[in-house]
Amino acid sequence: MDRNDHAAIQAVLAGDKEAYGALVVRHSQTVFRVAYRITGNEADAEDVVQEAFLRGYRKLEGFESRANFSTWIYRIAVHCALDKIKRRKGDETSRVAEATDPEQDQVQVADRAAGPERLLLSGEISAAQMDALNSLSPTERTAFVMRHMEDCSTAEIGAALGIDSNAAKQAVFRAVQKMRRRLAPLRVAT
Amino acid sequence: MMHLTDEEMIQEYYGESENPAAVERHLAACPECARNFAELKRDLADVSRIEAPARDAGYGERVWAAIAPALPDYARQERRKWNGSNWGTRWWTNPWTRGLSYAAACALLAACAFYAGSVWQQQRHPGITAIKQAPAPQPKQPIVLVVLDDHLDRSERFLVQLKHADMESGQTAWPLGDEARSLLAANRVCRKNLAATSDPELSTALDHLDSLLAEAANAPGGLNAASIAKLQDEMNADGLLFEVRVLRTRMAHPNENPAKGGTI
Repeated sequence: MDRNDHAAIQAVLAGDKEAYGALVVRHSQTVFRVAYRITGNEADAEDVVQEAFLRGYRKLEGFESRANFSTWIYRIAVHCALDKIKRRKGDETSRVAEATDPEQDQVQVADRAAGPERLLLSGEISAAQMDALNSLSPTERTAFVMRHMEDCSTAEIGAALGIDSNAAKQAVFRAVQKMRRRLAPLRVAT
Repeated sequence: MMHLTDEEMIQEYYGESENPAAVERHLAACPECARNFAELKRDLADVSRIEAPARDAGYGERVWAAIAPALPDYARQERRKWNGSNWGTRWWTNPWTRGLSYAAACALLAACAFYAGSVWQQQRHPGITAIKQAPAPQPKQPIVLVVLDDHLDRSERFLVQLKHADMESGQTAWPLGDEARSLLAANRVCRKNLAATSDPELSTALDHLDSLLAEAANAPGGLNAASIAKLQDEMNADGLLFEVRVLRTRMAHPNENPAKGGTI
């Protein structure tokens, strides 16, 4: 564990609330990154960052001194982000319905030849990718982001989501299959 | 030859195969699995990492400024906890406050038992509950009505006795005089209570009854054949017995004459 983090936690528990500020400043960028990747939304990600550090402060007494604060706060952030997208699920359902529109798939099948069109297609690919991510369940999405984008192991994903490794592996597996199916029209176009 | 499953290939792609050497050997030997694995790699490689928008160097400070006011001081929390337990100890060791606590606990227990009993009874007799929850519409002045009905009943019996009184027998005269005095007092109470009602028939009947009873109760030298005969004449002239019977019938069936039945 980072010696600075350890010292800051001891100071906080001894009554120096301001010491927690140092931890927030040090880890907020990382927490924002994972929060943004899971929520896919800047405003939601900022909410998640605040929520994660608030929860972290309240649970700080239960923090084990052998653990790594960055991993610990990262897991809390993943939980907060998962809660956020679960709450948002209704909205996501409507977006998935829009994404299944066959006309939209046709728009995605574009010629990559020309420069400006390539840029346009690049934007469409990003949009299609985001739609594909939105089609996943909150747990699948979180597991996929952690596995594919955050390079977390299945064990780490399981620990962060509070599920066993096998369930985490299955969540990643289902997410990959759904993503491939969803992005198949783009592959045909290229 | 057994092909690799999608799950095994995904595990291989993310470097988490349980037996990576065996998977690699299979991929080298099986063109179909090798082609599928190549497609998987290409598909997943196309899924780019979502790049989070950059946060400036002051972002962490802003987060801290936003959450700091909501965070309690750990030392203060500890102090509050300690103070709380000390206060609790003092409370419990004081005999007065301890007694008060016992009394409060007993009162709470009794209230809970009462509540549980009422809930239990409601569950056992839901019909009673329903009646309690939705009481039938009550007529105005229900207690007065009961008293009045009783008074009219007694008055009717008195009038019947008076009508058939044996004028030669002093035996009937004495109880009639006593009953007349008793009824006179009751009649005045009823008249007073019903003074505000707008039922002229009832008021008239009670007025007639009052004068008859007053005469019977205050007959000089008590009731005798002459006074009884006079009372019978007055009663018959006013049709008082009939009036009282009509009123009793009306009270027993108030809905049959809605214009008058519910006004008492």
